[in-house]
Amino acid sequence: MTLQECFAALGGNYDDVMGRLRSERLVQKFVLKFLDDGSYALLLSSLEAGNGEEAFRAAHTIKGMCQNLGFTRLGNSSAALTEALRGGDGRFDPALLEQVKEDYQVTAKAVETFKASLGV
Amino acid sequence: MQKEKILIVDDSEMNRSILADMLGDEFDISEAANGVEAISLLQKHSAEYSLVLLDIVMPEMDGFDVLAVMKRCGWIEEVPVIMVSAETASEQIERAYELGATDFIMRPFDASIVHRRVVNTMLLYAKQKKLVSIVEEQIYEKEQNSSLMVDILSHIVEFRNGESGRHIQHVRTLTDLLLHKLCEVTDRYPLSEVDISVISMASALHDIGKIGIDDKILNKPGRLTDEEFAVMKTHSAIGAQMLEDLPVHKNNPIVIRAYEICRWHHERFDGKGYPDGLKGDEIPISAQVVALADVYDALTSERVYKKAIPHEEAIDMILQGKCGAFNPVLLDCLAQNATSVKNSLTLDVSKASRRLEIRSFADAVLHSKSGGASERTLRLLDYERMKHNFFAAMTEEIQFEYSAGPDILKLSPWGANKLGVPENIVSPDKNMALSALLGEGWWQRMGDLLKTTTPDKPECSREEQLLLGGEYRWYSIIVRAIWSDDNPPQITGAIGKAVDIHDAKTKINELREKSIRDPLTGLLNRAGVREQIEPRIKGFPDHKYAFAIFDIDFFKHANDEHGHLFGDKVLCYIAQRLNHSIRQSDLCARIGGDEFLIFFEYDNDIHPIIARIFKALCGEIDSFEVRISMGVSEMHEEGEEYEELFHRADQALYCSKRAGRAQYHLYDDSMKDILTDREPDTETADGAADRRE
Repeated sequence: MTLQECFAALGGNYDDVMGRLRSERLVQKFVLKFLDDGSYALLLSSLEAGNGEEAFRAAHTIKGMCQNLGFTRLGNSSAALTEALRGGDGRFDPALLEQVKEDYQVTAKAVETFKASLGV
Repeated sequence: MQKEKILIVDDSEMNRSILADMLGDEFDISEAANGVEAISLLQKHSAEYSLVLLDIVMPEMDGFDVLAVMKRCGWIEEVPVIMVSAETASEQIERAYELGATDFIMRPFDASIVHRRVVNTMLLYAKQKKLVSIVEEQIYEKEQNSSLMVDILSHIVEFRNGESGRHIQHVRTLTDLLLHKLCEVTDRYPLSEVDISVISMASALHDIGKIGIDDKILNKPGRLTDEEFAVMKTHSAIGAQMLEDLPVHKNNPIVIRAYEICRWHHERFDGKGYPDGLKGDEIPISAQVVALADVYDALTSERVYKKAIPHEEAIDMILQGKCGAFNPVLLDCLAQNATSVKNSLTLDVSKASRRLEIRSFADAVLHSKSGGASERTLRLLDYERMKHNFFAAMTEEIQFEYSAGPDILKLSPWGANKLGVPENIVSPDKNMALSALLGEGWWQRMGDLLKTTTPDKPECSREEQLLLGGEYRWYSIIVRAIWSDDNPPQITGAIGKAVDIHDAKTKINELREKSIRDPLTGLLNRAGVREQIEPRIKGFPDHKYAFAIFDIDFFKHANDEHGHLFGDKVLCYIAQRLNHSIRQSDLCARIGGDEFLIFFEYDNDIHPIIARIFKALCGEIDSFEVRISMGVSEMHEEGEEYEELFHRADQALYCSKRAGRAQYHLYDDSMKDILTDREPDTETADGAADRRE
């Protein structure tokens, strides 16, 4: 799988991120880092614990990360969830969370497949 | 060339890493994962950073809070901040700008834009810093020049007057000192640093009008006649006229102040001066201060017509109103700063301190506020910090540093690790981990402790129990309060350390415990119980207390027939029964071989209590019937001593024995002549037991 194919699989914008970061090496480095980021786990656990503020921050971090990486699909759903959680009492439309979960799985799977194809 | 330093503050490691990769080739990058870490780094190195890239949404302390602290501490004027965030709401961006952010970069980042904005912002700031130093340099030059001209001019006047040549310098120094002190005690005269400096410089011109006075009068050795004095008095109006007639510069601040001073430095606060008879604050404050400085220096200098008067005497004369009438606030200033006044004239005002003044001057001009530290000072501070950190790391001590604004507690790395808390803690009073360590109310306790210090004696200490790894340990907390130079001084923070004294303290407690307890029964011994009874009798003289002393009947037989081990068993049995039959607040002790003491408080009738205890102590152990004889004494009147109560209980006990044992008696006056064979508090336990049976 090429980096470009990976972006296609996870619903990202390869041209946009290359335009900004200017180097395939950098883009690849950060795409692989996506798997190490704990924000998604933090989002789920803080929602479970009813900590709305922490959940907001975690969603916000995911959103920022996706924007930087050009992960449009997960970026859009996490942005929607972020706004729903902002300054609120922790109540939100569960459909938003389901969308983020689905998009995250798609994204993580694409990145993992890409990583495996690199043989690292 | 050394790389410029950039601080990246973002809670997402990936975001930091992207920015670091974009900028790392050209800049030296530091990273902080939240606001608290950022503040801590800035506190240590704010002068070193050329730029901060700051995220908004972060745990612990968000980007807005960081900006607010940077603003409060004045760092934002030295270090530009670019906000980096996925926030797009315009009010968020607006707020960041209001708090002093220089620029705003939205996510997603574009490498070339980030780079360009960073470089532009740094260039802009570098230019501004350079401008500051140029302005500083120019003000210094300019002030040097005009100061030189004023000095030459006033020296000409002095030369003609035949005065000491130091008079002008002295008046100028005193004027400067008095004005500064005046502004500390009152805000009635709103003078800026710039105003004070201008007035001090203009003070040198106070006597230029003497140019227009005839030599013969000016330098006459004896007393002036009325006519001559009338001529002499015109010098103030002449001086003012000269300034007024200046063809140019009439609106220059120095000329304006010099006019006030020349014309009115011989006015009196009571309105009896000349030339205009102005009264109170009708006289400009510049002229009032110069008048006082002039009189003081005239008194303490030698003149053709008089000898010099010592400093103390001169101050007294002025305060008693023998040398004119002055503003009482000003006289207070003089009286309270008499020593500084004397010293200021004997010490040369060094160039360095002038230079520093200029620096704050330049700051004032540029930022319309004072403050700021020179590069050199910052370097010195950094050196001291490095030294401190090195020694702190070597000593393996829990060292800490607290500042009230920003509200942060900093621990030495070793100390933080030992306590299992972060090195930097914001709002420590609300920190759960610290509450768990030190117990509820610790903030209040430390606050109370600090309040016992004074600026002269800022050290204090107290012992606290720390819950470390599930175990309480005693620590001695030694603190030095940081008092500000304000008037009145305030506590702005504290430094200190916590020393583990647990082992030493435990050892002392153990030894103490041993010394007051009977090893066999675990009850208090005679000395121990006395130590606890006496403060109660003395502390609550109106309470009803009673003593009961008892011993075990035929204890010697039990020992003889069944052996000493059995005897010990009986004693332990009694001790156990005793513990069960008294209240927590009562005391009991083994005061001799088979002799015990009970000390208790009662409300109304003592008899049922004694009967209950007596009964509880009788019983049977291994077919040995335990019976006791007991004597009880009550406190009759206030102020009775331990000795008396003890003695009466002993007399009552004797009575019980004489009446055939296995009973108790309450002391009454009929027993007062009974002689017991006890020496007060000196006999040995075994001796008493043997004699009794």
